[in-house]
Amino acid sequence: MAVNGAETAEKIKSLIYKTCLYQDDCEWKNWLDLCSDDFNYYIRAYSPEIQKDMEYMGGPKEYMESITGQLRKHNIDDSPLKRHGIVYRVDVADDNKSATAVTSLTVFQTLLGGNSSHVDSGTTGIFLVGRYNDKFVIDGNDVKFIEREVRLDTRRLDKGTHWPI
Amino acid sequence: MSARNHEQWNAQPKLQSGEWVDSKIYSDEEIFEEELEKIWKQMWIPVCHESELKNAYDFRTMTIAREPVIVVRGKDMKVRAFLNVCPHRGNMIERRPSGSFAKSTPSGTPKTMTCMFHAWQFDMKGKCVNITRKEEGYQDRLCESDVGLRELKSEVYFGGFIWVSLNDNINQTVEEFAAGALDSLAPSVNEEPLEVFHYHKAIIDCNYKLWHDTNCEFYHDYLHYHNRITGFNDEYFARKNTGFKGGHVNVGSFEVQYENYEGFHSREELSFPHLPANQWYMIDMFPGVNFNLRGSALRSDIMTPLGPNKVMIEFRGLGLASDSPKDRKIRIDHHNSIWGPFGRNLCEDLIAVTGQGAAMQSGSESRQILHGRHENETIHDENGMRHYYEEWGRWVGRSPSHPDQPFVEPAETA
Ligand code: FES
Ligand SMILES: [Fe+2]
Repeated sequence: MAVNGAETAEKIKSLIYKTCLYQDDCEWKNWLDLCSDDFNYYIRAYSPEIQKDMEYMGGPKEYMESITGQLRKHNIDDSPLKRHGIVYRVDVADDNKSATAVTSLTVFQTLLGGNSSHVDSGTTGIFLVGRYNDKFVIDGNDVKFIEREVRLDTRRLDKGTHWPI
Repeated sequence: MSARNHEQWNAQPKLQSGEWVDSKIYSDEEIFEEELEKIWKQMWIPVCHESELKNAYDFRTMTIAREPVIVVRGKDMKVRAFLNVCPHRGNMIERRPSGSFAKSTPSGTPKTMTCMFHAWQFDMKGKCVNITRKEEGYQDRLCESDVGLRELKSEVYFGGFIWVSLNDNINQTVEEFAAGALDSLAPSVNEEPLEVFHYHKAIIDCNYKLWHDTNCEFYHDYLHYHNRITGFNDEYFARKNTGFKGGHVNVGSFEVQYENYEGFHSREELSFPHLPANQWYMIDMFPGVNFNLRGSALRSDIMTPLGPNKVMIEFRGLGLASDSPKDRKIRIDHHNSIWGPFGRNLCEDLIAVTGQGAAMQSGSESRQILHGRHENETIHDENGMRHYYEEWGRWVGRSPSHPDQPFVEPAETA
Protein backbone atom coordinates (compact mmCIF):
# COMPACT_ATOMS: atom_id res chain seq x y z
CA MET A 1 0.00 0.00 0.00
CA ALA A 2 1.25 3.48 -0.82
CA VAL A 3 2.40 5.87 1.92
CA ASN A 4 -0.95 7.63 1.90
CA GLY A 5 -2.80 4.38 1.13
CA ALA A 6 -4.32 4.10 4.59
CA GLU A 7 -5.92 7.50 4.23
CA THR A 8 -7.28 6.59 0.79
CA ALA A 9 -8.59 3.31 2.13
CA GLU A 10 -10.57 5.17 4.80
CA LYS A 11 -11.94 7.47 2.16
CA ILE A 12 -13.03 4.49 0.08
CA LYS A 13 -14.77 2.87 3.01
CA SER A 14 -16.78 5.97 3.71
CA LEU A 15 -17.59 6.27 0.01
CA ILE A 16 -18.99 2.73 -0.03
CA TYR A 17 -21.11 3.42 3.05
CA LYS A 18 -22.36 6.60 1.42
CA THR A 19 -23.64 4.57 -1.53
CA CYS A 20 -25.53 2.31 0.87
CA LEU A 21 -27.25 5.31 2.43
CA TYR A 22 -28.04 6.98 -0.88
CA GLN A 23 -29.37 3.78 -2.41
CA ASP A 24 -31.40 2.94 0.71
CA ASP A 25 -33.04 6.32 0.31
CA CYS A 26 -33.48 5.90 -3.46
CA GLU A 27 -31.30 8.94 -4.07
CA TRP A 28 -30.06 7.55 -7.36
CA LYS A 29 -28.56 10.77 -8.63
CA ASN A 30 -26.51 11.29 -5.48
CA TRP A 31 -25.35 7.66 -5.74
CA LEU A 32 -24.29 8.01 -9.36
CA ASP A 33 -22.57 11.33 -8.65
CA LEU A 34 -20.02 9.30 -6.67
CA CYS A 35 -19.18 7.44 -9.86
CA SER A 36 -16.86 8.47 -12.68
CA ASP A 37 -18.25 9.04 -16.17
CA ASP A 38 -16.75 5.69 -17.22
CA PHE A 39 -18.57 3.85 -14.42
CA ASN A 40 -20.11 0.45 -15.10
CA TYR A 41 -22.58 -1.34 -12.86
CA TYR A 42 -23.30 -5.09 -12.82
CA ILE A 43 -25.39 -7.52 -10.82
CA ARG A 44 -24.01 -11.00 -11.33
CA ALA A 45 -24.46 -14.45 -9.86
CA TYR A 46 -23.18 -17.92 -10.47
CA SER A 47 -25.96 -20.42 -11.08
CA PRO A 48 -25.24 -23.95 -9.91
CA GLU A 49 -28.52 -24.87 -11.64
CA ILE A 50 -27.30 -24.08 -15.15
CA GLN A 51 -23.61 -24.05 -14.16
CA LYS A 52 -23.07 -20.60 -15.63
CA ASP A 53 -21.91 -17.25 -14.49
CA MET A 54 -24.81 -14.91 -15.14
CA GLU A 55 -25.47 -11.22 -15.35
CA TYR A 56 -28.83 -10.04 -13.98
CA MET A 57 -28.41 -6.34 -14.69
CA GLY A 58 -25.71 -4.14 -16.08
CA GLY A 59 -24.89 -0.94 -17.80
CA PRO A 60 -22.80 2.20 -17.95
CA LYS A 61 -23.49 5.26 -15.80
CA GLU A 62 -25.61 6.85 -18.50
CA TYR A 63 -27.91 3.83 -18.67
CA MET A 64 -28.22 3.66 -14.90
CA GLU A 65 -29.14 7.36 -14.84
CA SER A 66 -31.71 6.82 -17.54
CA ILE A 67 -33.46 3.82 -15.97
CA THR A 68 -33.46 5.19 -12.44
CA GLY A 69 -34.81 8.47 -13.81
CA GLN A 70 -37.89 6.71 -15.20
CA LEU A 71 -38.84 4.73 -12.10
CA ARG A 72 -41.71 6.99 -11.12
CA LYS A 73 -43.52 5.81 -14.25
CA HIS A 74 -43.30 2.17 -13.18
CA ASN A 75 -45.42 0.09 -10.82
CA ILE A 76 -42.70 -0.65 -8.33
CA ASP A 77 -42.72 -2.67 -5.14
CA ASP A 78 -42.10 0.19 -2.74
CA SER A 79 -41.15 -1.98 0.23
CA PRO A 80 -37.96 -0.26 1.42
CA LEU A 81 -34.64 -2.04 1.05
CA LYS A 82 -31.85 -1.53 3.59
CA ARG A 83 -28.31 -2.43 2.70
CA HIS A 84 -26.13 -3.81 5.46
CA GLY A 85 -22.57 -3.64 4.21
CA ILE A 86 -19.29 -4.31 5.91
CA VAL A 87 -16.15 -3.41 4.03
CA TYR A 88 -13.93 -6.46 4.43
CA ARG A 89 -11.02 -5.35 2.34
CA VAL A 90 -9.61 -2.31 0.51
CA ASP A 91 -6.53 -2.57 -1.72
CA VAL A 92 -5.02 0.67 -2.95
CA ALA A 93 -2.57 0.34 -5.86
CA ASP A 94 1.06 1.33 -5.23
CA ASP A 95 0.80 4.29 -7.58
CA ASN A 96 -2.27 5.50 -5.62
CA LYS A 97 -4.26 5.82 -8.84
CA SER A 98 -6.68 2.95 -8.41
CA ALA A 99 -8.15 0.72 -5.74
CA THR A 100 -10.45 -2.22 -5.24
CA ALA A 101 -12.71 -3.09 -2.32
CA VAL A 102 -14.78 -6.06 -1.20
CA THR A 103 -17.87 -5.45 0.90
CA SER A 104 -20.03 -8.15 2.41
CA LEU A 105 -23.64 -7.31 1.72
CA THR A 106 -27.03 -8.28 3.05
CA VAL A 107 -30.12 -6.46 1.83
CA PHE A 108 -33.20 -6.50 4.02
CA GLN A 109 -36.69 -5.75 2.77
CA THR A 110 -39.39 -4.37 5.03
CA LEU A 111 -42.72 -5.00 3.40
CA LEU A 112 -45.06 -2.14 2.74
CA GLY A 113 -47.65 -3.67 0.47
CA GLY A 114 -46.31 -7.19 0.62
CA ASN A 115 -48.98 -9.57 -0.52
CA SER A 116 -51.66 -8.27 1.79
CA SER A 117 -50.51 -5.11 3.54
CA HIS A 118 -52.90 -5.67 6.46
CA VAL A 119 -50.97 -8.80 7.36
CA ASP A 120 -47.55 -8.24 5.83
CA SER A 121 -46.70 -4.56 6.21
CA GLY A 122 -43.84 -4.00 8.61
CA THR A 123 -42.42 -7.49 8.15
CA THR A 124 -38.68 -7.58 7.52
CA GLY A 125 -36.99 -10.36 5.63
CA ILE A 126 -33.70 -10.95 3.88
CA PHE A 127 -34.05 -9.90 0.28
CA LEU A 128 -30.66 -11.02 -0.92
CA VAL A 129 -27.12 -11.80 0.14
CA GLY A 130 -23.92 -11.07 -1.74
CA ARG A 131 -20.92 -8.80 -2.04
CA TYR A 132 -20.00 -5.51 -3.58
CA ASN A 133 -16.81 -5.89 -5.59
CA ASP A 134 -15.89 -2.27 -6.27
CA LYS A 135 -13.18 -0.61 -8.35
CA PHE A 136 -12.08 3.00 -7.96
CA VAL A 137 -10.13 5.64 -9.83
CA ILE A 138 -8.07 8.00 -7.74
CA ASP A 139 -6.96 11.41 -8.89
CA GLY A 140 -5.11 13.15 -6.07
CA ASN A 141 -7.77 13.70 -3.43
CA ASP A 142 -10.60 12.70 -5.69
CA VAL A 143 -11.82 9.09 -5.43
CA LYS A 144 -14.62 7.80 -7.64
CA PHE A 145 -16.24 4.47 -8.41
CA ILE A 146 -15.35 3.14 -11.85
CA GLU A 147 -17.04 -0.23 -11.44
CA ARG A 148 -19.45 -1.90 -9.06
CA GLU A 149 -20.16 -5.58 -9.31
CA VAL A 150 -22.93 -6.79 -7.03
CA ARG A 151 -22.11 -10.47 -6.78
CA LEU A 152 -25.19 -12.33 -5.53
CA ASP A 153 -25.53 -15.66 -3.81
CA THR A 154 -29.31 -15.32 -3.98
CA ARG A 155 -31.01 -16.59 -7.12
CA ARG A 156 -34.50 -16.91 -5.77
CA LEU A 157 -35.55 -13.30 -6.09
CA ASP A 158 -39.32 -13.69 -6.01
CA LYS A 159 -40.81 -10.38 -7.11
CA GLY A 160 -37.38 -8.85 -7.76
CA THR A 161 -37.06 -5.08 -7.74
CA HIS A 162 -36.72 -2.15 -10.10
CA TRP A 163 -34.09 -0.66 -7.83
CA PRO A 164 -30.37 -1.17 -8.37
CA ILE A 165 -28.80 -2.92 -5.38
CA MET B 1 -76.18 0.78 -10.36
CA SER B 2 -73.05 1.96 -8.60
CA ALA B 3 -71.43 -0.07 -5.85
CA ARG B 4 -73.13 -3.44 -5.26
CA ASN B 5 -74.38 -5.29 -2.22
CA HIS B 6 -73.50 -8.93 -1.50
CA GLU B 7 -76.28 -10.38 -3.59
CA GLN B 8 -75.58 -8.11 -6.53
CA TRP B 9 -71.84 -8.79 -6.24
CA ASN B 10 -72.46 -12.54 -6.46
CA ALA B 11 -75.08 -12.40 -9.19
CA GLN B 12 -74.20 -14.03 -12.47
CA PRO B 13 -72.30 -11.56 -14.68
CA LYS B 14 -73.95 -10.23 -17.81
CA LEU B 15 -71.61 -12.41 -19.83
CA GLN B 16 -71.91 -15.76 -21.55
CA SER B 17 -70.84 -18.96 -19.87
CA GLY B 18 -67.10 -19.43 -20.39
CA GLU B 19 -66.51 -15.68 -20.16
CA TRP B 20 -65.73 -15.78 -16.49
CA VAL B 21 -64.28 -18.29 -14.04
CA ASP B 22 -64.92 -18.85 -10.35
CA SER B 23 -61.94 -17.77 -8.23
CA LYS B 24 -62.30 -21.07 -6.37
CA ILE B 25 -60.33 -22.69 -9.19
CA TYR B 26 -57.38 -20.59 -7.99
CA SER B 27 -57.75 -21.25 -4.29
CA ASP B 28 -59.40 -24.57 -3.52
CA GLU B 29 -57.19 -27.30 -1.99
CA GLU B 30 -59.22 -30.15 -3.40
CA ILE B 31 -59.21 -28.73 -6.92
CA PHE B 32 -55.47 -28.17 -6.64
CA GLU B 33 -54.83 -31.83 -5.75
CA GLU B 34 -57.03 -32.89 -8.64
CA GLU B 35 -55.06 -30.69 -11.01
CA LEU B 36 -51.79 -32.36 -9.98
CA GLU B 37 -53.27 -35.80 -10.62
CA LYS B 38 -55.38 -35.11 -13.67
CA ILE B 39 -53.23 -32.54 -15.45
CA TRP B 40 -49.66 -32.22 -14.22
CA LYS B 41 -49.04 -35.96 -13.94
CA GLN B 42 -50.51 -36.56 -17.38
CA MET B 43 -48.89 -33.93 -19.62
CA TRP B 44 -45.56 -33.26 -21.25
CA ILE B 45 -43.73 -30.74 -19.08
CA PRO B 46 -40.46 -29.11 -20.21
CA VAL B 47 -38.08 -29.42 -17.29
CA CYS B 48 -34.84 -27.87 -18.51
CA HIS B 49 -32.77 -27.22 -21.62
CA GLU B 50 -30.27 -29.61 -23.19
CA SER B 51 -27.47 -27.04 -22.82
CA GLU B 52 -27.72 -27.58 -19.05
CA LEU B 53 -26.42 -31.13 -19.53
CA LYS B 54 -23.79 -30.74 -22.23
CA ASN B 55 -21.56 -33.70 -21.52
CA ALA B 56 -22.03 -37.40 -20.99
CA TYR B 57 -22.82 -38.09 -17.30
CA ASP B 58 -24.21 -34.57 -16.71
CA PHE B 59 -27.47 -34.41 -14.80
CA ARG B 60 -30.22 -32.00 -13.71
CA THR B 61 -32.80 -32.58 -11.00
CA MET B 62 -36.31 -31.17 -10.64
CA THR B 63 -39.83 -32.13 -9.57
CA ILE B 64 -43.11 -32.58 -11.39
CA ALA B 65 -46.22 -32.57 -9.22
CA ARG B 66 -44.05 -33.24 -6.13
CA GLU B 67 -42.37 -36.26 -7.76
CA PRO B 68 -38.55 -35.96 -7.78
CA VAL B 69 -37.15 -36.26 -11.30
CA ILE B 70 -33.60 -36.59 -12.60
CA VAL B 71 -32.51 -36.06 -16.17
CA VAL B 72 -29.14 -37.52 -17.19
CA ARG B 73 -27.09 -37.64 -20.36
CA GLY B 74 -25.76 -41.09 -21.04
CA LYS B 75 -22.44 -42.22 -22.46
CA ASP B 76 -24.36 -42.51 -25.75
CA MET B 77 -25.22 -38.76 -25.36
CA LYS B 78 -28.89 -39.59 -25.14
CA VAL B 79 -30.92 -37.78 -22.51
CA ARG B 80 -33.05 -39.97 -20.24
CA ALA B 81 -35.32 -39.14 -17.35
CA PHE B 82 -35.96 -41.15 -14.20
CA LEU B 83 -37.73 -40.78 -10.94
CA ASN B 84 -34.99 -39.49 -8.65
CA VAL B 85 -35.93 -42.08 -6.05
CA CYS B 86 -33.91 -45.02 -4.84
CA PRO B 87 -35.69 -48.36 -5.14
CA HIS B 88 -34.16 -49.47 -1.83
CA ARG B 89 -35.72 -47.28 0.82
CA GLY B 90 -36.99 -44.35 -1.15
CA ASN B 91 -34.16 -41.88 -0.63
CA MET B 92 -33.74 -39.11 -3.18
CA ILE B 93 -30.77 -40.32 -5.16
CA GLU B 94 -29.27 -37.00 -6.20
CA ARG B 95 -29.78 -33.80 -4.22
CA ARG B 96 -27.71 -31.30 -6.19
CA PRO B 97 -29.53 -29.22 -8.81
CA SER B 98 -26.98 -30.17 -11.45
CA GLY B 99 -23.59 -31.76 -11.85
CA SER B 100 -21.79 -34.70 -13.32
CA PHE B 101 -21.64 -38.37 -12.47
CA ALA B 102 -18.31 -38.62 -14.30
CA LYS B 103 -16.52 -38.22 -10.98
CA SER B 104 -16.86 -40.34 -7.89
CA THR B 105 -19.01 -39.32 -4.93
CA PRO B 106 -18.26 -40.01 -1.26
CA SER B 107 -20.46 -43.13 -1.38
CA GLY B 108 -19.78 -44.24 -4.93
CA THR B 109 -17.53 -44.85 -7.89
CA PRO B 110 -17.47 -42.68 -11.07
CA LYS B 111 -19.92 -43.00 -13.96
CA THR B 112 -22.78 -44.23 -11.81
CA MET B 113 -25.62 -42.64 -9.90
CA THR B 114 -25.01 -43.68 -6.34
CA CYS B 115 -27.56 -43.42 -3.59
CA MET B 116 -25.48 -42.07 -0.73
CA PHE B 117 -27.52 -43.93 1.91
CA HIS B 118 -26.57 -47.58 1.35
CA ALA B 119 -24.58 -47.06 -1.85
CA TRP B 120 -26.80 -48.83 -4.37
CA GLN B 121 -25.63 -47.82 -7.84
CA PHE B 122 -27.29 -47.26 -11.18
CA ASP B 123 -25.98 -46.60 -14.66
CA MET B 124 -27.12 -43.79 -16.96
CA LYS B 125 -29.80 -46.06 -18.43
CA GLY B 126 -31.32 -46.59 -15.00
CA LYS B 127 -30.05 -50.14 -14.60
CA CYS B 128 -29.02 -51.09 -11.08
CA VAL B 129 -25.36 -52.11 -11.27
CA ASN B 130 -24.54 -52.67 -7.64
CA ILE B 131 -26.41 -53.72 -4.52
CA THR B 132 -23.95 -53.51 -1.67
CA ARG B 133 -23.48 -56.84 0.15
CA LYS B 134 -26.20 -58.33 -2.03
CA GLU B 135 -25.64 -62.05 -1.39
CA GLU B 136 -25.22 -61.55 2.34
CA GLY B 137 -28.52 -59.73 2.61
CA TYR B 138 -30.74 -60.95 -0.19
CA GLN B 139 -29.12 -64.33 -0.97
CA ASP B 140 -30.74 -65.20 -4.31
CA ARG B 141 -34.07 -63.54 -3.54
CA LEU B 142 -33.40 -60.14 -5.10
CA CYS B 143 -30.82 -59.03 -7.64
CA GLU B 144 -29.87 -55.93 -9.61
CA SER B 145 -32.22 -56.65 -12.48
CA ASP B 146 -35.17 -56.47 -10.08
CA VAL B 147 -34.45 -52.97 -8.84
CA GLY B 148 -33.85 -50.68 -11.80
CA LEU B 149 -34.88 -47.05 -11.62
CA ARG B 150 -38.29 -45.93 -12.80
CA GLU B 151 -37.72 -44.46 -16.26
CA LEU B 152 -39.93 -41.59 -17.39
CA LYS B 153 -40.92 -40.70 -20.91
CA SER B 154 -38.75 -37.91 -22.25
CA GLU B 155 -38.14 -36.05 -25.47
CA VAL B 156 -35.89 -33.25 -26.65
CA TYR B 157 -38.08 -30.90 -28.62
CA PHE B 158 -38.39 -27.23 -29.64
CA GLY B 159 -34.96 -25.66 -29.59
CA GLY B 160 -33.50 -28.27 -27.27
CA PHE B 161 -35.97 -28.20 -24.37
CA ILE B 162 -36.20 -31.47 -22.47
CA TRP B 163 -39.78 -32.59 -21.94
CA VAL B 164 -40.75 -35.24 -19.43
CA SER B 165 -44.04 -36.92 -18.65
CA LEU B 166 -44.92 -38.92 -15.57
CA ASN B 167 -47.56 -40.65 -17.69
CA ASP B 168 -46.18 -43.85 -19.26
CA ASN B 169 -49.32 -44.12 -21.34
CA ILE B 170 -49.19 -40.66 -22.88
CA ASN B 171 -50.27 -41.30 -26.43
CA GLN B 172 -48.81 -38.20 -28.04
CA THR B 173 -45.36 -36.99 -28.98
CA VAL B 174 -44.50 -33.48 -27.78
CA GLU B 175 -45.07 -32.32 -31.33
CA GLU B 176 -48.56 -33.79 -31.33
CA PHE B 177 -49.19 -32.35 -27.87
CA ALA B 178 -48.17 -28.88 -29.09
CA ALA B 179 -50.70 -29.17 -31.92
CA GLY B 180 -49.04 -26.45 -33.99
CA ALA B 181 -48.74 -23.90 -31.20
CA LEU B 182 -44.94 -23.94 -31.41
CA ASP B 183 -44.77 -23.74 -35.19
CA SER B 184 -44.47 -19.96 -35.45
CA LEU B 185 -41.15 -20.03 -33.58
CA ALA B 186 -39.89 -23.43 -34.64
CA PRO B 187 -37.74 -22.18 -37.55
CA SER B 188 -36.15 -19.57 -35.27
CA VAL B 189 -35.29 -21.91 -32.40
CA ASN B 190 -34.46 -25.02 -34.43
CA GLU B 191 -32.06 -23.45 -36.93
CA GLU B 192 -29.05 -23.88 -34.68
CA PRO B 193 -28.39 -25.01 -31.09
CA LEU B 194 -29.51 -22.69 -28.31
CA GLU B 195 -27.88 -22.12 -24.96
CA VAL B 196 -29.29 -21.03 -21.61
CA PHE B 197 -27.58 -17.94 -20.24
CA HIS B 198 -30.02 -16.90 -17.54
CA TYR B 199 -31.72 -18.64 -14.63
CA HIS B 200 -33.54 -17.31 -11.63
CA LYS B 201 -36.62 -18.32 -9.76
CA ALA B 202 -39.58 -16.81 -8.02
CA ILE B 203 -41.73 -18.54 -5.44
CA ILE B 204 -44.78 -16.40 -5.06
CA ASP B 205 -48.13 -16.56 -3.35
CA CYS B 206 -50.56 -17.07 -6.16
CA ASN B 207 -52.06 -19.94 -8.13
CA TYR B 208 -50.02 -21.12 -11.12
CA LYS B 209 -52.88 -20.36 -13.48
CA LEU B 210 -52.81 -16.70 -12.52
CA TRP B 211 -49.24 -16.50 -13.78
CA HIS B 212 -50.23 -18.36 -16.92
CA ASP B 213 -53.17 -15.98 -17.39
CA THR B 214 -50.90 -12.96 -17.23
CA ASN B 215 -48.73 -14.53 -19.92
CA CYS B 216 -51.83 -15.25 -22.04
CA GLU B 217 -53.34 -11.78 -22.02
CA PHE B 218 -51.84 -8.48 -23.12
CA TYR B 219 -54.67 -6.28 -21.88
CA HIS B 220 -52.44 -5.89 -18.82
CA ASP B 221 -49.92 -3.88 -20.81
CA TYR B 222 -51.51 -1.00 -18.91
CA LEU B 223 -49.40 -2.32 -16.04
CA HIS B 224 -46.18 -1.83 -17.99
CA TYR B 225 -45.07 1.68 -18.82
CA HIS B 226 -42.40 0.15 -21.01
CA ASN B 227 -44.86 -1.80 -23.14
CA ARG B 228 -47.23 1.11 -23.50
CA ILE B 229 -44.67 3.43 -24.96
CA THR B 230 -42.82 0.85 -27.06
CA GLY B 231 -46.03 -0.89 -28.15
CA PHE B 232 -49.45 0.69 -28.29
CA ASN B 233 -49.91 1.43 -31.99
CA ASP B 234 -52.11 0.09 -34.79
CA GLU B 235 -49.87 -2.86 -35.48
CA TYR B 236 -49.86 -3.78 -31.78
CA PHE B 237 -53.65 -3.71 -31.54
CA ALA B 238 -53.87 -5.93 -34.63
CA ARG B 239 -51.77 -8.72 -33.04
CA LYS B 240 -53.69 -11.95 -33.17
CA ASN B 241 -54.35 -14.25 -30.24
CA THR B 242 -54.69 -17.74 -31.64
CA GLY B 243 -55.83 -20.82 -29.77
CA PHE B 244 -54.51 -24.28 -30.61
CA LYS B 245 -55.90 -27.68 -29.75
CA GLY B 246 -54.95 -28.68 -26.24
CA GLY B 247 -55.39 -25.27 -24.60
CA HIS B 248 -52.28 -23.67 -26.07
CA VAL B 249 -52.23 -20.06 -27.24
CA ASN B 250 -49.99 -18.13 -29.55
CA VAL B 251 -49.85 -14.35 -29.53
CA GLY B 252 -48.79 -13.05 -32.92
CA SER B 253 -45.98 -10.62 -33.46
CA PHE B 254 -45.45 -6.98 -34.33
CA GLU B 255 -42.50 -4.61 -34.45
CA VAL B 256 -41.61 -3.19 -31.04
CA GLN B 257 -40.27 0.38 -30.94
CA TYR B 258 -37.65 -0.18 -28.24
CA GLU B 259 -36.04 3.21 -28.76
CA ASN B 260 -39.21 4.89 -27.46
CA TYR B 261 -38.05 3.96 -23.97
CA GLU B 262 -35.18 6.22 -22.95
CA GLY B 263 -31.93 4.29 -22.76
CA PHE B 264 -33.21 1.37 -24.88
CA HIS B 265 -32.19 0.51 -28.44
CA SER B 266 -33.35 -1.50 -31.42
CA ARG B 267 -32.61 -5.23 -31.25
CA GLU B 268 -32.46 -5.58 -35.01
CA GLU B 269 -28.85 -6.74 -35.31
CA LEU B 270 -29.30 -9.85 -33.17
CA SER B 271 -32.68 -11.19 -34.21
CA PHE B 272 -33.11 -14.93 -33.89
CA PRO B 273 -32.81 -16.77 -37.23
CA HIS B 274 -35.65 -16.16 -39.72
CA LEU B 275 -37.18 -13.52 -37.47
CA PRO B 276 -37.81 -10.02 -38.86
CA ALA B 277 -36.35 -7.20 -36.74
CA ASN B 278 -37.72 -6.45 -33.28
CA GLN B 279 -40.52 -8.98 -33.42
CA TRP B 280 -42.16 -10.31 -30.29
CA TYR B 281 -43.85 -13.70 -30.19
CA MET B 282 -45.42 -15.33 -27.17
CA ILE B 283 -46.49 -18.95 -26.86
CA ASP B 284 -48.43 -20.24 -23.87
CA MET B 285 -48.52 -24.00 -23.52
CA PHE B 286 -51.08 -25.78 -21.42
CA PRO B 287 -50.91 -26.27 -18.44
CA GLY B 288 -48.27 -23.73 -17.42
CA VAL B 289 -45.33 -23.12 -19.71
CA ASN B 290 -44.46 -20.01 -21.63
CA PHE B 291 -42.04 -19.25 -24.44
CA ASN B 292 -41.47 -15.59 -25.15
CA LEU B 293 -39.20 -14.35 -27.92
CA ARG B 294 -38.39 -10.67 -28.10
CA GLY B 295 -36.19 -10.54 -31.20
CA SER B 296 -32.81 -11.23 -29.71
CA ALA B 297 -33.54 -13.29 -26.61
CA LEU B 298 -35.80 -16.22 -25.82
CA ARG B 299 -37.37 -16.52 -22.39
CA SER B 300 -39.04 -19.56 -20.94
CA ASP B 301 -41.19 -19.69 -17.80
CA ILE B 302 -41.57 -23.16 -16.37
CA MET B 303 -44.04 -23.40 -13.54
CA THR B 304 -44.10 -25.82 -10.66
CA PRO B 305 -47.35 -25.53 -8.71
CA LEU B 306 -46.63 -25.81 -4.98
CA GLY B 307 -50.10 -25.25 -3.54
CA PRO B 308 -53.39 -23.60 -4.45
CA ASN B 309 -51.82 -20.27 -3.62
CA LYS B 310 -48.13 -20.95 -4.26
CA VAL B 311 -46.13 -21.44 -7.41
CA MET B 312 -42.48 -21.61 -8.32
CA ILE B 313 -41.62 -20.04 -11.64
CA GLU B 314 -38.23 -20.77 -13.15
CA PHE B 315 -37.12 -18.11 -15.59
CA ARG B 316 -34.58 -18.92 -18.26
CA GLY B 317 -33.00 -16.75 -20.92
CA LEU B 318 -31.57 -18.31 -24.07
CA GLY B 319 -29.39 -17.20 -26.94
CA LEU B 320 -27.62 -19.02 -29.75
CA ALA B 321 -24.88 -21.42 -28.70
CA SER B 322 -22.73 -19.92 -31.45
CA ASP B 323 -22.91 -16.37 -29.99
CA SER B 324 -19.65 -14.44 -29.80
CA PRO B 325 -18.99 -13.08 -26.30
CA LYS B 326 -19.94 -9.61 -27.57
CA ASP B 327 -23.25 -10.79 -29.05
CA ARG B 328 -24.03 -12.83 -25.97
CA LYS B 329 -23.51 -9.79 -23.76
CA ILE B 330 -25.95 -7.79 -25.89
CA ARG B 331 -28.54 -10.57 -25.77
CA ILE B 332 -28.16 -10.77 -22.00
CA ASP B 333 -28.64 -7.01 -21.68
CA HIS B 334 -31.72 -7.16 -23.88
CA HIS B 335 -33.14 -10.02 -21.85
CA ASN B 336 -32.41 -8.45 -18.47
CA SER B 337 -33.55 -4.93 -19.22
CA ILE B 338 -37.15 -6.16 -19.44
CA TRP B 339 -37.25 -9.69 -18.04
CA GLY B 340 -34.44 -9.89 -15.50
CA PRO B 341 -35.22 -9.89 -11.78
CA PHE B 342 -34.18 -6.22 -11.85
CA GLY B 343 -35.80 -5.50 -15.21
CA ARG B 344 -38.59 -3.17 -16.23
CA ASN B 345 -41.51 -5.59 -16.61
CA LEU B 346 -41.02 -8.83 -14.76
CA CYS B 347 -41.39 -7.39 -11.25
CA GLU B 348 -44.53 -5.56 -12.35
CA ASP B 349 -46.15 -8.80 -13.50
CA LEU B 350 -45.15 -10.53 -10.28
CA ILE B 351 -46.55 -7.73 -8.13
CA ALA B 352 -49.85 -7.86 -10.00
CA VAL B 353 -50.41 -11.62 -9.75
CA THR B 354 -49.53 -11.73 -6.06
CA GLY B 355 -52.17 -9.04 -5.61
CA GLN B 356 -54.64 -11.45 -7.19
CA GLY B 357 -53.31 -14.28 -5.00
CA ALA B 358 -53.80 -12.18 -1.85
CA ALA B 359 -57.43 -11.57 -2.77
CA MET B 360 -58.14 -15.24 -3.60
CA GLN B 361 -56.62 -17.15 -0.72
CA SER B 362 -57.94 -20.57 0.20
CA GLY B 363 -61.21 -20.16 2.04
CA SER B 364 -61.98 -16.71 0.73
CA GLU B 365 -65.34 -16.15 -0.87
CA SER B 366 -65.78 -17.12 -4.49
CA ARG B 367 -65.41 -14.27 -6.92
CA GLN B 368 -66.09 -14.00 -10.59
CA ILE B 369 -62.95 -13.48 -12.60
CA LEU B 370 -63.93 -11.96 -15.92
CA HIS B 371 -62.44 -13.26 -19.15
CA GLY B 372 -65.08 -11.71 -21.36
CA ARG B 373 -63.35 -9.22 -23.67
CA HIS B 374 -64.02 -9.79 -27.35
CA GLU B 375 -61.92 -7.82 -29.82
CA ASN B 376 -61.84 -10.00 -32.89
CA GLU B 377 -59.24 -12.29 -31.27
CA THR B 378 -56.66 -9.54 -31.22
CA ILE B 379 -54.25 -8.61 -28.48
CA HIS B 380 -56.71 -7.31 -25.84
CA ASP B 381 -59.30 -9.99 -26.52
CA GLU B 382 -59.40 -12.46 -23.64
CA ASN B 383 -59.94 -15.45 -25.93
CA GLY B 384 -56.56 -16.90 -24.89
CA MET B 385 -57.76 -17.40 -21.32
CA ARG B 386 -61.17 -18.64 -22.45
CA HIS B 387 -59.45 -21.19 -24.64
CA TYR B 388 -57.20 -22.30 -21.80
CA TYR B 389 -60.03 -22.75 -19.30
CA GLU B 390 -62.11 -24.76 -21.71
CA GLU B 391 -59.25 -27.26 -21.88
CA TRP B 392 -58.75 -27.06 -18.13
CA GLY B 393 -62.41 -27.95 -17.61
CA ARG B 394 -62.03 -30.96 -19.88
CA TRP B 395 -59.08 -32.37 -17.93
CA VAL B 396 -60.34 -31.65 -14.43
CA GLY B 397 -63.94 -32.47 -15.26
CA ARG B 398 -65.23 -29.33 -13.61
CA SER B 399 -66.86 -26.25 -15.06
CA PRO B 400 -64.42 -23.33 -14.67
CA SER B 401 -67.26 -20.93 -13.87
CA HIS B 402 -69.15 -23.37 -11.64
CA PRO B 403 -66.44 -25.73 -10.37
CA ASP B 404 -68.91 -27.73 -8.30
CA GLN B 405 -70.64 -28.74 -11.52
CA PRO B 406 -69.24 -31.07 -14.18
CA PHE B 407 -67.63 -29.69 -17.32
CA VAL B 408 -69.91 -29.55 -20.34
CA GLU B 409 -68.52 -29.14 -23.84
CA PRO B 410 -69.52 -25.72 -25.13
CA ALA B 411 -72.08 -25.87 -27.90
CA GLU B 412 -70.54 -25.59 -31.36
CA THR B 413 -71.24 -22.12 -32.65
CA ALA B 414 -72.01 -21.69 -36.30
S1 FES C 1 -32.16 -45.83 0.21
FE1 FES C 1 -30.87 -45.82 -1.48
S2 FES C 1 -29.42 -47.29 -1.09
FE2 FES C 1 -30.75 -47.39 0.59
FE1 LIG D 1 -46.59 -8.48 -18.37
